[in-house]
Amino acid sequence: MATSNTPMEDILRERITTTLSPSHLEIHNDSSKHSHHKAMEDSTSKETHFRVMITSEAFGGKGMMARHKMVYALFKEEMAREGGIHALQLRTRTEAEEEKDKSKEES
Amino acid sequence: MSTLLEIKSEEEWHKHTASLPSSTLQIISFHAPWAAPCTQMRTVLETLASSYPVTEPLSTSWVSMNAEEVMDVSDSFDVTAVPYLVLTRNNQVLETVSGSDATKVRAAIEKHAKSSGGSSNGSTAAANNSGSVAKNLSSYTPTAADPATAPQYSSGEVKEDKEALHERLATLVKAAPVMLFMKGTPSAPQCGFSRQTVALLRENSVKYGFFNILADDDVRQGLKEFSDWPTFPQLYVDGELVGGLDIVKEEMANDPDFFKAYSVPKSTPDSAAAS
Repeated sequence: MATSNTPMEDILRERITTTLSPSHLEIHNDSSKHSHHKAMEDSTSKETHFRVMITSEAFGGKGMMARHKMVYALFKEEMAREGGIHALQLRTRTEAEEEKDKSKEES
Repeated sequence: MSTLLEIKSEEEWHKHTASLPSSTLQIISFHAPWAAPCTQMRTVLETLASSYPVTEPLSTSWVSMNAEEVMDVSDSFDVTAVPYLVLTRNNQVLETVSGSDATKVRAAIEKHAKSSGGSSNGSTAAANNSGSVAKNLSSYTPTAADPATAPQYSSGEVKEDKEALHERLATLVKAAPVMLFMKGTPSAPQCGFSRQTVALLRENSVKYGFFNILADDDVRQGLKEFSDWPTFPQLYVDGELVGGLDIVKEEMANDPDFFKAYSVPKSTPDSAAAS
């Protein structure tokens, strides 16, 4: 069986999908942009920094902080461990908010 | 950066105060070792002091005295309760603050420090001789010559117990109305997100205090728990966590006046950036 060479990204995708049933999910691996930073000099992982955009109704009625915490909670272990997820940039919106942003961009 | 000087005797006090120029803002704190809020007040003052540069002539002098050890001095300032703060300049009492309200204390000090002109609003000449300051960030750093708002909070050898750390953090997040816990310092950020946050605050002329979490591992780990937030930078406003870079950006996008209350009007032209 072929092993993925993006195990962390797979975990991100799987858990977010299962827990939040997003209508829209984008995961970008920005690790290479940060590999020169001092903090990363001992890192061997190529999956340290992610930028994730999630649109899910599960975020409805929650403030930004609560939404981010929901996502962070899914990856508590991965974020705490050495060589795991070092940074997670999040954009968390509901479908309605995504629509609103889209129409703002187009106007 | 300034430090809080503990003065033990009346004689020492008189010598010290006589040696200061009349333009110096004297920040005088009275405490008693048996009063728990005094320890917190010391922390607040040490934090604040470290964000004020040591200038020539001296713009601020920070002194702490045990009210019971210097009875005559305490009497002369009418100290009847501790912690008690007296602000003087040129032997005139400008203001006093009784009690342990950190916000009041800070507001009073900042108010009077501003009028001396040599204070921490970031545009002092002293800010720009450090040379290594990144050009694009040098025009507005929160403190001159880049000291951390609370650098002396490294726990050093002592392994703090959880409760003490928690208390320290609770005070630290209120050390300034806008407090940025970042990796590195505003003129030398060690992380892209910290750098972007500093830039955002600078663009909006926000007056803020900062703490370099890379310099103190206890705070770094402790704050993750305290804030229930796993990453840095962390921005606190009025003692409450706003979040990281993403959230700060979003808040600004939703409300451009998000930081209005904490910003200072741009006073001097960015001559520093041109050098």
